[in-house]
Amino acid sequence: MHPIFKFFVLTLLLSPQTLFSQSQEFKFASIEYEDRFYALTNEIRCPKCTSGSIASSNAPIAEDLKRKVYEQIVNGKTDEEIKAYIVDRYGEFADFRPSFVKWNLFLWFAPAVFLIIFGFLFFRHQN
Amino acid sequence: MNLHKFFGLLLLCSFFMFLGLIILDNKDSDSFLSGKAFPEFNTQTLDGKNITEEYLANKTLLVNIWASWCITCLVEHPFLEDLSDEIQIVGINYKDNPEDAKAWLTKHGNFFSVNIQDPLGNLAIDLGVTGAPESFLVVNGKIVSHVIGELNQKKWEMYFAPNL
Repeated sequence: MHPIFKFFVLTLLLSPQTLFSQSQEFKFASIEYEDRFYALTNEIRCPKCTSGSIASSNAPIAEDLKRKVYEQIVNGKTDEEIKAYIVDRYGEFADFRPSFVKWNLFLWFAPAVFLIIFGFLFFRHQN
Repeated sequence: MNLHKFFGLLLLCSFFMFLGLIILDNKDSDSFLSGKAFPEFNTQTLDGKNITEEYLANKTLLVNIWASWCITCLVEHPFLEDLSDEIQIVGINYKDNPEDAKAWLTKHGNFFSVNIQDPLGNLAIDLGVTGAPESFLVVNGKIVSHVIGELNQKKWEMYFAPNL
């Protein structure tokens, strides 16, 4: 075996991710449930991480929240109900797709407003 | 407007957005939990007795999330011990083995009025907990304030003492 290939395989085998990853395995009755699970866990922010979703984290709280999402999907809850459950406990912060109400309107529209203002100023300067 | 003014304005906007981010990203405390009723629960204490949220009614309590595997819990333990002279402290033993928890309390001291078992962290999730330790000031069954991480004199005076 080529030494570089050996090094690559050893690194992969000994990486902490491989050694300590304890992601739970979830079994789904249908593909639809599985798709919903992955979509939801990608839209819920891990409360313990800097800016990752619970799907991308194996922090204990992320694993617990994945379990909660799974349990609620299996128990027939809708996506809206599951998100409301998480937001009720961890705040709007936990939702990567903020609702279209009140103060969140600023989040939705600020980038477009800033783009228009600075675009206008920039082109006026150019002319 | 010249290019210098344009970039000056851009810098000013960036500064305010950064400032907003720092203010909004306060991880010590979660104000949105204030005023909420303590979630319902029906579980057991570390002594094996049944306990529900009714235990918290008509009392002013400090609820502390802790575990025997949690190093920071050991760090805040002496402060909580001193505090137990002022306020009743209820523990929620978070994702722990009851035998390990009991041995830890025997070794380091048990000032908790009661310890609620939460082996899967379900009650903790209902409280919006992200890990151990975290503490809640609960008055008459309602959450008044919440501190994430080690509770110390500074955080006590900042978030809890003004609400007593």
